[in-house]
Amino acid sequence: MTPRGLIRTVIVMIEAQHLTKRYGDKFAVNDISFSVEPGVVTGFLGPNGAGKSTTMRMILGLDRPTSGDVVVNGRRYRDMTAPLREIGTLLDARAVEPGRTAANHLLWLAHSNGISARRVQEVLVTVGLADVADSRAGTFSLGMNQRLGIAAALLGDPPVLMFDEPINGLDPDGIIWIRNIMKSLAAEGRTVFLSSHLMSEMAQTADHLIVIARGRIIATGSVDEIVSANATPSVTVRSSDPDTLNERLVHAGAVTVRGLDGELSVSGLSSAVIGSIAHRADIPLTELSTHGASLEDAFLELTHESTDYRATVGASTGA
Amino acid sequence: MNTTTYTADVRSRPEGPSGDGSQRPVTAIAVGPVSRGTALARTFRAEWTKLRTLRSTWITVGVSVAVSIGFALLNATSTVSEWADMSPKQRAEFDPTSSSLIGVLFAALIFGSLAVRTMTSEYSSGMIRVTFAAIAQRRRVIAAKASLIATIGFTVALASNLLAYFPSQQILRSKHIESSINDSGVVAALVLGAVSVAVVAVIGVGLGTILRRTALAITTLSLAIIGGQIVGLALPESARTYLPSSALQATVSVHRAADLLSAGRAVIVIVLYAAACYAAANLLVSRRDA
Repeated sequence: MTPRGLIRTVIVMIEAQHLTKRYGDKFAVNDISFSVEPGVVTGFLGPNGAGKSTTMRMILGLDRPTSGDVVVNGRRYRDMTAPLREIGTLLDARAVEPGRTAANHLLWLAHSNGISARRVQEVLVTVGLADVADSRAGTFSLGMNQRLGIAAALLGDPPVLMFDEPINGLDPDGIIWIRNIMKSLAAEGRTVFLSSHLMSEMAQTADHLIVIARGRIIATGSVDEIVSANATPSVTVRSSDPDTLNERLVHAGAVTVRGLDGELSVSGLSSAVIGSIAHRADIPLTELSTHGASLEDAFLELTHESTDYRATVGASTGA
Repeated sequence: MNTTTYTADVRSRPEGPSGDGSQRPVTAIAVGPVSRGTALARTFRAEWTKLRTLRSTWITVGVSVAVSIGFALLNATSTVSEWADMSPKQRAEFDPTSSSLIGVLFAALIFGSLAVRTMTSEYSSGMIRVTFAAIAQRRRVIAAKASLIATIGFTVALASNLLAYFPSQQILRSKHIESSINDSGVVAALVLGAVSVAVVAVIGVGLGTILRRTALAITTLSLAIIGGQIVGLALPESARTYLPSSALQATVSVHRAADLLSAGRAVIVIVLYAAACYAAANLLVSRRDA
């Protein structure tokens, strides 16, 4: 009912409270509460099977929560009569009818929400598919389908955008393109929520993180906060006598990992302390370098206890 | 217009909002006026766009018309050539009207399958989630699909009935066994045959929604429409007349055989099947996860 030209001012966000989805006796999502706020890119990070997609389907009213509630802009999805104007989403880029052209796919979506047909052309230009507007979606590469899905999400010019694993299967150009579009949408003041199991991608795209594993939220905060709270920097040392050095470092309280060629990866001690220990032991160092803690380290630390299928390195008893 | 435009070559992020920016209100910008007819009308328009933008819809229409007319003419021609050899009983039972409307069974099968696929193809491609995310009121989606295909099915079947009826009677005239449009029950057969195609389309949307898999739903539909002889073997004779396949046959019959319902009753029977199917679909679609 918004008259043309009137600008509504609202706080837009996604808000979940005690959201739970159970299949039989297995919890896909277990009592999670979070909010996704405007102006920043919020990453939903977790290993495959952690409950990211289930959560997103519940946000969209596609799956019914076992208990709990989730609202977008203060309203339940099922109460929205023109949802594409409120939240644009891309869940699965392959979920298009292969026989329909890109323009017609967007056209029926536009009609369903009373969006002007001119907008179809606009979003096709935005995502760079204007030249193939009249080609069937079945002839598209995954990257082109991904762009079509993003065009569909942008169609209603919504204040909230949500993408499930948007960079899966994209080439490097496509990844950079998506990363930039996410950031510019957030910079326009929109709420941007994207899921990924790729920590490195999140480190480059997201400002804020919600980390989920086994259906539970195990951390929230800015990328820097999560990294500094959950990962420590490590120092790589090479020397002529790694065995002795290792002994001394462990004695000083370090945790070390032996690598190839006598390389030692040391955490728990600063490079200055390591240097002086080596000096006192009269062991010449050929390399001493510090690696900043990464989101990957933090993520592994966080999910260490919650990963369903953990590799059991060194578990074999030997012969 | 006050729509925002995004540029394809998005520059690297300008010094965007951070810190205190996370809580600031956002201006939501309209994409044209929100209200373009009611929500139900928008759903109809969207589903119509979906249907008309698929080549398979138009192939279905073409095949239905061609098959309906083709089989009617074939039926008339073979009756004329075999008339001399037919027994008195066969001649007495011959119904020139229903023999030229044999296409109704094919049209019911063809449009029923199209109706099934409007649901099942979305389930198999995953597009059903795109649809239900765009139109959160799922029952509206089913209502729109069912009524659109029913309307197309009725229109196409009525046209093919007329195009099949007149030339077939022309052929039958050589043996003086034709019926006339003015005969009692003929107009009813032409119209009710088309109505039953529309009703089967509703059954198709219902089955597609309930079963969600194309092969399963089309097999079920085919058995219902043409499997009367197979399923009927297991049933007492009195029950057989109420099978969808028998009822469908009855809608286009003028010379009524003893084991057929009247055309009016037959339509009511098919409508009841459709209502049951549609009600179950309505119940399930809003309860199940998409």
